Amino acid sequence: MEPQTAGSTNDEPFVIYPARRVITINPAFPFGDAVAVSGDRILGVGSTDELASWGDHRVDRRFAEHVLMPGFIEAHCHVMSGGLWNSTYVGYFDRRDPQGQLWPGCTSIDDVLERLGKAAADMTDDSQTLLAWGLDPIYFPGERLVARHLDTVTGDRPTLVLHASGHLATINTALMERCGIDETATSPGVARGGDGLPNGELHEPAGMMLAADAFIDMMNANRTEQARWRYANEARNAGHTLLTDLGTTQLWDPEQLGSWKKVTSDPAYPARVMVAMSNLFGATADPAELAELCVQLKNEQTDKLRFGIVKLILDGSIQGFTARISWPHYYKPPPGHIGNGMWLTAPDQMADLVEPYHRAGLTVHCHCNGDEATEVFVDAVEQVLERHPRWDHRHTVQHCQLTTPDQYRRMAALGMCANIFSNHIYYWGDQHRDVTVGPERAARMDACRTALDSGVSFSVHSDSPITPLGHLHTAWCAVNRVTASGRVLGPDERIGVADALRAITIEAARQLKLDGDIGSIEAGKLADFAVLDDDPLEVDPMALRDIGVWGTVLGGVPQPAEISDV
Amino acid sequence: MTVIGGYLGAGKTTLVNHVLRSSDERVAVIVNDFGEISIDEDLIAAAEGDKLTLANGCICCTLADGFAVALNTVRSAEVPPERLLIEASGVADPAQIAAYGHTPGLRLDAVVVLADAEQVRRQASDRWVADTVRMQLAAADLLVVNKIDLLSDADAADALCNWLTGIASTAAMVRASRAAVPVEVLFGPQPEGDAVNTLDRSAPDPNAARSLPAAEDLFESQTVVLDAPVPMPVIEALLADLPENVARLKGLVQAAPPAAAGDARGTEAADTTAYLIEAVGARASITPLAPGSDESPRQWAVSVIAYKGSLPSDWLSERLVRRG
Repeated sequence: MEPQTAGSTNDEPFVIYPARRVITINPAFPFGDAVAVSGDRILGVGSTDELASWGDHRVDRRFAEHVLMPGFIEAHCHVMSGGLWNSTYVGYFDRRDPQGQLWPGCTSIDDVLERLGKAAADMTDDSQTLLAWGLDPIYFPGERLVARHLDTVTGDRPTLVLHASGHLATINTALMERCGIDETATSPGVARGGDGLPNGELHEPAGMMLAADAFIDMMNANRTEQARWRYANEARNAGHTLLTDLGTTQLWDPEQLGSWKKVTSDPAYPARVMVAMSNLFGATADPAELAELCVQLKNEQTDKLRFGIVKLILDGSIQGFTARISWPHYYKPPPGHIGNGMWLTAPDQMADLVEPYHRAGLTVHCHCNGDEATEVFVDAVEQVLERHPRWDHRHTVQHCQLTTPDQYRRMAALGMCANIFSNHIYYWGDQHRDVTVGPERAARMDACRTALDSGVSFSVHSDSPITPLGHLHTAWCAVNRVTASGRVLGPDERIGVADALRAITIEAARQLKLDGDIGSIEAGKLADFAVLDDDPLEVDPMALRDIGVWGTVLGGVPQPAEISDV
Repeated sequence: MTVIGGYLGAGKTTLVNHVLRSSDERVAVIVNDFGEISIDEDLIAAAEGDKLTLANGCICCTLADGFAVALNTVRSAEVPPERLLIEASGVADPAQIAAYGHTPGLRLDAVVVLADAEQVRRQASDRWVADTVRMQLAAADLLVVNKIDLLSDADAADALCNWLTGIASTAAMVRASRAAVPVEVLFGPQPEGDAVNTLDRSAPDPNAARSLPAAEDLFESQTVVLDAPVPMPVIEALLADLPENVARLKGLVQAAPPAAAGDARGTEAADTTAYLIEAVGARASITPLAPGSDESPRQWAVSVIAYKGSLPSDWLSERLVRRG
């Protein structure tokens, strides 16, 4: 990022923040006792005395008992993370909303119903549909939440519960009636109970679109200023100073672009945002035109709103059995599964699709969950590099979950980066071992150690809202590889805490090409810090995710977290 | 609703343009692809962002915001469409898109899949897309073997079609160049009312075989006008045993409901119901029409479209009239 103004104006004294420790992630000067901030920039790191020698200053002791790190950088999440909180959370795991309130996981059908009943009782507008998200029936074996359960707590109020997979929804009788879903329904997406009648479950887009109005309400909530604020608030509460909205069609819409500009230009907006251009979800555009628009947008960027990366998508998800995985494919796929996942972009087209962005100087980030997808993307980058050699493109394999050692070696040779979905180890690791890919491949998935040893620059990510935003957790997963059931999945792919801390700071900045300005605490960089209650390099690695977060400093401005437990 | 699928380069967009150019129906289009909408300029009346108003008054838009939004968009046109074409992406499973045909107000007519005659065998053994291409072919009700002119000779075409039959065993198959498949083959003959006259423009004898105004002049139709109800078993037998040279069958008939089938009283007018009968590939349906609905025909008739010369001229009447 270009400095908008030089850090020091000479008119105002700079500020020295003494800390319990400053972890700089600068290998040449790894630790300090204090950091000096002038305007929005870092003047220096060192001892308070050393920093005082720069001249007129004041000392602010508010972080004297805290540990300062470079602000965390989440290189793969989505603004939907803020929008979904307009709906009621009924997921299995504890989750903290952007207002800082903890929503305990719903660990039984009764918990789900109790929460929905309370949400319905709190609603005042009778015409409104009750929307909920995060239901994960995989944890309720033998039981099934159906319409008549919902009816007992939400009555006549139309109700829709989106499952965590995103591929199913359960609606109540009132919403079925409103949508005209009855025994005459012919869609295979309308599930039926033992009595042969629709039970309220809608499967896949063709089924779920029968309740389209409710979904449109849910998705429109991602396009509001409130969603953008909540997304940044949630990030600040977890120590993040830069977020990505990795893949959006909103950049074509002047109103949506204007909304991004408006919120990020508010001095109180507590995060920097990098918005990735996307051709996702059927949105149409010529890649050459898209590349041009993205280049134009780079001229409009500010220090808090950044452009210049492009998101492509090749395959589906592993837990949904739609990722493209090489032979022997899936371990225990559901009956009727076709054997492998699906392509969302034709492999033949990939090089031609990457080429216009590559030539325009943009960085391409491609969703590749399965190793076949990684192979196709790496092949495409190699072809495009042969046609148009270019230095330092940093094209990035996103998710990178089943990328093999030979692929990491090719990525290193080609100058590619990886962003690894480490949170999967905790949230779905048990299912990957027992069901999707089997023990051997589950042990080597999300292979941070292999990436490190191969010399591939890598970060880790949450893909929020798919898993909760919070880099102390993603780093914890990369370090410990512990699943929800407590099993260590593939101990040989674990990395050390110091490497994980690099992954969530300087390496994430590097793949976004922002590492000249953020990602470490050193003189001249933007003053973006995560303010922690404890020292990640000193706590037991298993306690990494439990470290409290005071908040952040963003461009020199302290941004305290807002946490309010229920 | 008609789904148009097939791998990249098979000719889906060419087919969509061909349909818009040659169909008398008001056709709307939903495109499910990452690429640009490629409707020919002379078929576009106006463009507004990603939404096109077509020369026929209908709308063409993308699935960008989901099927529900796209469907609302095409329905919002001043001219309501009579037929919806959905052009699948080159890697999509057409069968999944066909599932939208159960949306209230829509009825799936057929899944039309195109194959590139020159490339399809290579694609079906490609390292990455072999399974995708085979899945697409297997989803076809009507398989259009396109670019057939690029093959060296008729033997090569026959060999290819034999091979395709092994993958798309239940599909009706038609050969085409530049995706020029007669719309009657794509959408079925239209034996009701005026539509009969479009098929048999100068036909005093509706039972006679007639060639269609087809670009490739490959097909011919037979139409039988019915003046009496047909027993349901006769209709069921007709649909169950269509020769593979039949591309399409469509009809409006009066018949006894299936429950009364075989019962002597079933053929009495008072007990009969009007049905729409259709067949393409292995997809056959017998749909009762609501009494007095707008779909009530001005005449009862069945039409069949087949390769020229492949059926005896009395084939259809043999099955309907003499047996009836």
